[in-house]
Amino acid sequence: MLTKKILIFLPVLIFVILLQSFFWAPTYDEQVRGNPHRLEEFITASSGDAKILNPVLNADSASSTIVGQVFDGMIDRDEELKFRGRLATGWDIYEEAYFYINPEATIDGKRMAGPEEIKELILARRGKGIIRDSSLQDALSNIKNIEIIHAQTSERDIQLPGPDQNGDGLPDAVTVRVRLAPPPRLKITLKSVDQDFFKYLEGILGKGYFETFPSDRYAEILTKGQEDKLSVTAREVLPAIEHNPVILFRLREGVRFHDGHEFDAGDVRFTYQSIMDTRNLSPRIPDYEPVKRLEVMDKHTVRIVYKRLYSPAFGTWGMGILPEHLLNAEALRKEAEAKGSDPDTFTMRDSDFNRRPVGTGPFVFREWKSDQYIALDRNEDYWEGPPNYRRYTYRIVPDLLTQEMEFYGGAIDDYGVQPHQVARLKNDPRYQHFSSLSFGYSYIGYNMRRELFRDKRVRKALGMAIDTDKIIKYVMYDQAERITGPFVKQTDYYDKSIKPLPYDPEGALNLLHEAGWKKNSDGMLEKDGKIFAFTLITNNGNPIRKNILTIAQDAWKKIGIDVKTDLVEWAVFIGKYVNTGKFDALVLGWSMGIDPDLYQIWHSSQTNENQLNFAGFVNKEADDLIIKIRQEYDFDKQVAYSHKLHRIIADEQPYTFLFVRKATAILDKKIVIREYSESGEEIIRRISPTKTGNYTYYFNKWIKLATSPEFDTE
Amino acid sequence: MERTDEHTKELHLGMADEVSRFTEAWRIFRKNRPALWGMIIFIIFFIVAVVGLVLTYGNDPVLDPAKVRLSEKLLQPFSPVNTEMIRLEDKPFLNMYLLGTDDLGRDIFARMMQGAWVSLTVGFVAVGISVLIGIVLGGLAGYYGAVRITLMDVLGLIAVSVSLIFLASGQGDLSVRAFLIAGVCMIFSFAYYVFVRGRRNHKMLGFLFVDTFTVDTLIMRFVDVMLCFPSFFLILTIVAVLPASIYNIMIVIGMTSWMGTARFVRAEFLSLREQDFVSAARVMGISDASIIFRHMIPNAVAPVLVSATIGIAGAILTEAALSFLGFGVPPPHATWGNILSNGQRFLYDAPWLIYIPGLSILVVVLSFNLFGEGLRDALNPKLRKR
Amino acid sequence: MFSFTIRSFFQKLATLFFISIVSFLVVYLAPGEPSQIDPLNPKFTAEDLARFRAEFNLDKPLHVQYYLFYKNLFTGELKSWKDNQPVLGKVKERFMNSLWLFIIGTLITWCLSFPVGISAAIKRGSFFDRSTTFVAYVLISIPSFFFAYILIDFVVKTFSISVIGMQTFGMQSASPVYQVMDRIWHMVIPSILGALGGIALLSRYVRAQMLEVIHQDYIRTAKAKGLSEDMVNYKHGFRNALLPFVTMFGLILPGLIGGSVIIESIFAWPGMGRMGFEAILARDYPIILTINFIAAVLVLIGTFISDLLYMVVDPRIRL
Repeated sequence: MLTKKILIFLPVLIFVILLQSFFWAPTYDEQVRGNPHRLEEFITASSGDAKILNPVLNADSASSTIVGQVFDGMIDRDEELKFRGRLATGWDIYEEAYFYINPEATIDGKRMAGPEEIKELILARRGKGIIRDSSLQDALSNIKNIEIIHAQTSERDIQLPGPDQNGDGLPDAVTVRVRLAPPPRLKITLKSVDQDFFKYLEGILGKGYFETFPSDRYAEILTKGQEDKLSVTAREVLPAIEHNPVILFRLREGVRFHDGHEFDAGDVRFTYQSIMDTRNLSPRIPDYEPVKRLEVMDKHTVRIVYKRLYSPAFGTWGMGILPEHLLNAEALRKEAEAKGSDPDTFTMRDSDFNRRPVGTGPFVFREWKSDQYIALDRNEDYWEGPPNYRRYTYRIVPDLLTQEMEFYGGAIDDYGVQPHQVARLKNDPRYQHFSSLSFGYSYIGYNMRRELFRDKRVRKALGMAIDTDKIIKYVMYDQAERITGPFVKQTDYYDKSIKPLPYDPEGALNLLHEAGWKKNSDGMLEKDGKIFAFTLITNNGNPIRKNILTIAQDAWKKIGIDVKTDLVEWAVFIGKYVNTGKFDALVLGWSMGIDPDLYQIWHSSQTNENQLNFAGFVNKEADDLIIKIRQEYDFDKQVAYSHKLHRIIADEQPYTFLFVRKATAILDKKIVIREYSESGEEIIRRISPTKTGNYTYYFNKWIKLATSPEFDTE
Repeated sequence: MERTDEHTKELHLGMADEVSRFTEAWRIFRKNRPALWGMIIFIIFFIVAVVGLVLTYGNDPVLDPAKVRLSEKLLQPFSPVNTEMIRLEDKPFLNMYLLGTDDLGRDIFARMMQGAWVSLTVGFVAVGISVLIGIVLGGLAGYYGAVRITLMDVLGLIAVSVSLIFLASGQGDLSVRAFLIAGVCMIFSFAYYVFVRGRRNHKMLGFLFVDTFTVDTLIMRFVDVMLCFPSFFLILTIVAVLPASIYNIMIVIGMTSWMGTARFVRAEFLSLREQDFVSAARVMGISDASIIFRHMIPNAVAPVLVSATIGIAGAILTEAALSFLGFGVPPPHATWGNILSNGQRFLYDAPWLIYIPGLSILVVVLSFNLFGEGLRDALNPKLRKR
Repeated sequence: MFSFTIRSFFQKLATLFFISIVSFLVVYLAPGEPSQIDPLNPKFTAEDLARFRAEFNLDKPLHVQYYLFYKNLFTGELKSWKDNQPVLGKVKERFMNSLWLFIIGTLITWCLSFPVGISAAIKRGSFFDRSTTFVAYVLISIPSFFFAYILIDFVVKTFSISVIGMQTFGMQSASPVYQVMDRIWHMVIPSILGALGGIALLSRYVRAQMLEVIHQDYIRTAKAKGLSEDMVNYKHGFRNALLPFVTMFGLILPGLIGGSVIIESIFAWPGMGRMGFEAILARDYPIILTINFIAAVLVLIGTFISDLLYMVVDPRIRL
């Protein structure tokens, strides 16, 4: 019976075809089965796909990883987290300071209005060693050069905030035309940036010399009906003093983009312009907004002048540099025409470049399959020599457990190992492991606008009730370290002498008693008839935060606080609770840059809706220090200010600082570093992390061997 | 034809026949071994759930599913308590972790007991909602299906929905305006039914009362629209955008699974409507409500019961799947679904965290399914013949 | 026939219109904002946010957004908010990936369900019948992700072999035979897992249908005539039992998107379901809506085809 035979034969055939394929697929121990090049390929896994492979547009970590391999920045950080040149071979940082001659001021009882007189005065004071104050002497010897600028009378349009007319709650811009006839100005070039320079200068020119500068005398408002804005306008356009830090980069010669085009200063300028072009919607605009102008001095020299003191600015040049010839207006116009789009609305964001980028980095982009993988090939002409791996593949595996399974299956070399897996895999003879501290920390943040959390003692008590060491041990499997303040722990900005809060529920209760909270008959804390109760929230999808939530709730319950908890979906969490400040307390983490600038998260001006100081931390002294840090270019002074700030924040406890995670990597022991000695001999050595724990620092020298190598015991 | 006889008989004989029908069904059901087992497990599960609720309820329950004992995490089933690390009041029931502990050292036995009740509630409430909507809409379509609605009614309906949309998007004043329009439409409509209907000569606004389509079309098109969404994807979308809460999950599962019930309640009503005993009742002047509730719903209830039993199984599975994707019932409620999805990370470290809830779900869902199928066989006279 | 086709077509079109409105409202009225407007990017100012909102048309009234959305969808200009890629291109790529899994899964389902269902019906009440019935119930009762994990765990631990994704990574330079076989291997487990529920349901349905048929008079007549058991069962019985299944061909189309979210997430399979899930997480409205729309179109096309097939197969039906 044919029908019967077909009915039985067909499923058998299908299953045979399907199952025999098993014998062709490679296993962990036989990764080279049918495929000898597997060893020259590095495969890493991530749970999320990249979004946009353009260094000036990307904002997510997956994109940054790929962009970091394909593009080079001007600088990066070395083993010690100090700056190191990449596309730049060297740099100078100095300052151009300006001030207007104040005709009103009297110096040593005499009225001195001539710029030459002032210049001579300053130079004279510097020349002789007659000043006893040594810091003033230092400040003056920092002067390289003084120039006199005679300004012409000019007219300008400037924009000022005016009344809100379109009803969006923000002031609308008003354009005002002004005529300026400024007095002469001195331009002082300093060898290094000095935020206190004018303070010292006042020591020569007399106190209040700059403050009393009558800027409104030199300006005149031409727009009818806006004359009342004169003093505001004048201060804005004719500031008595101005700091203009300058960065001068010398660029590496002979570096080529992956398409063979030579890299030069024009590309740096183009990258900067692309960020500032508002049509591109670059998330990096705020980093580069302080730039006054960027000048190309010659093919391999760039000079960047800043509007004001802003020390984090230097670090921003680690961003990848775009190739101008592929993305300039002309290239975009061509691409738009080829695609049939309107060239006037076609921006860099629409370009295919973002899907197949071209940079100068160690790896060349090959292919991107959305939500599957991004494949890179090594750059044979890399200026530092090509990497050992021929290929770099970034796989997207959304599920954490499947990542682990793929690792066992040999289809992944590296993945984000979860803390609980580390304990198990550490002892496996097949693998080697590396731990390093990450740049972020987890915390419980309190809404200090709430009456409940206004008292420092209460916040401290809440922190003391939580056994953070236990969290680290049991939730993080020791894959974390305690942290006491907002700086990155492995940098010098972090003050290691500050002690973390002890775990002391008794002490916590005492503090709460001091603050007026007494236990009632139910064992709950009560003050003025109100029970100590609040809601602790975090976003869902993060098991560690969820665990912290549970532990905190439990710990606080023990000392008589009634805590409700809530898990909220991320978008809602941010939109409805964090941004609006409508929360009591939350569990969250910050991921930090190395730079010690804390303005956005801790300055009192950032406490409004949609701003990041959602805890509502306001402290005058801290504000001063935050400003000082971001204006200071001297490393040692920055460190000193940071330690002071760290101490204030640790004392105020606006957050209960919990821990900074350790990132532990598990790698096959077959992956090693391969170098060549000068005589061309191959040297194989074990992968070793840098002092700061970064094991991928020498990634370009990694390679996978067919068998596990034997090393001498260390 | 034989069904007609049965129903006519019922109209005359009343209760006595009900009883014999039940014993007949039970006789058939008893022979079906898997279904019988299904029912037994169903009953055991129900008892466990109730006991679980009692034991885990309150501030200081016998079994505390939320008690965190970090030093006792990931212990195997039947592990004894480590008395040195644990305070006296933190000790679990029987001084032993019957089913082990999870990554926070919470007692899995306690969590499973609490989860049984929560899972059962999710299943029952979700299916309750879906059955309710299904019966109301299916019944309307089946009984009043032929009634045509006028343009004015349609306008009223549109105005009401527009009003709701504005309300949802936070434009309160527009919402009120739309609601006023809806109100005007309704008043007109009502006036029309009371004063004008039947008289042919409505001139001025006549076009507003033109008959459009039938109630049946309206409801069944709506069913079609709902069926066109990929159901799990729709549930996921809605649950993801709503704040996580056990009530939202029950409501969403219920609101997206009533279409099947509506369809066969309609079919049942359509066929019942044409039966003699209903016609007879109508001739005798019995009111619509009385016909529907006294005669039609009791007759349509058997298939609804069957699909509800199977629906509960489906709802428990759906909740587990949502938990797996991170959108299930949020803490502090434990459900078997979220115990399973929390434990999934520890497949290699603590396999019992996966197997215990996974197998429990399997057994319970299986028992519901077998029970439901057995019910269907027993209650469906057509199948009895074979 | 012709008039029915036309009428049905317009009815489906109207349904589609309502679906487009309902799904649009569900998505747009939801709380939360697309993740591109990431308010925790420390350096975004209010103006930046406003600019992003304008870019996504989020600052316009709802009905305008609705119009713009569907206009862009039909002109192919709709772009994903997540990566600015044209939605249609993305969907097409994912659709092809899902299609493979779907085809293999359907093949397994249909090839397995018929022999199992028919044998169970013929040997009604036998051990085979009872055990397949029980297994079928187990298969529809087991949480799919639970089963998937057990299966993957077993295969990976036992064989140390990769089962996740569409291929083993690092195979790009292997010979084509290896690559093809590797790809087939990666389809085995997800497609079997995806097919399990279908096998259970369909084999039960085949069994019921077959039972109905073999109790008909003409089968009894055929048996009485002395035809062999197989001849009667497979020639007369099976052919008549097959009839309703022809119409089911239309209804399997929607399965392409429906239940694949979980399997595709676990297996890192870059298909439609996973794209939809990721779009939900990222609030990528254009993708969510497009998938919903395509799903609806597939359902409508499926029912349309099945109606037509029904008419062709069974001329007594006049819809």
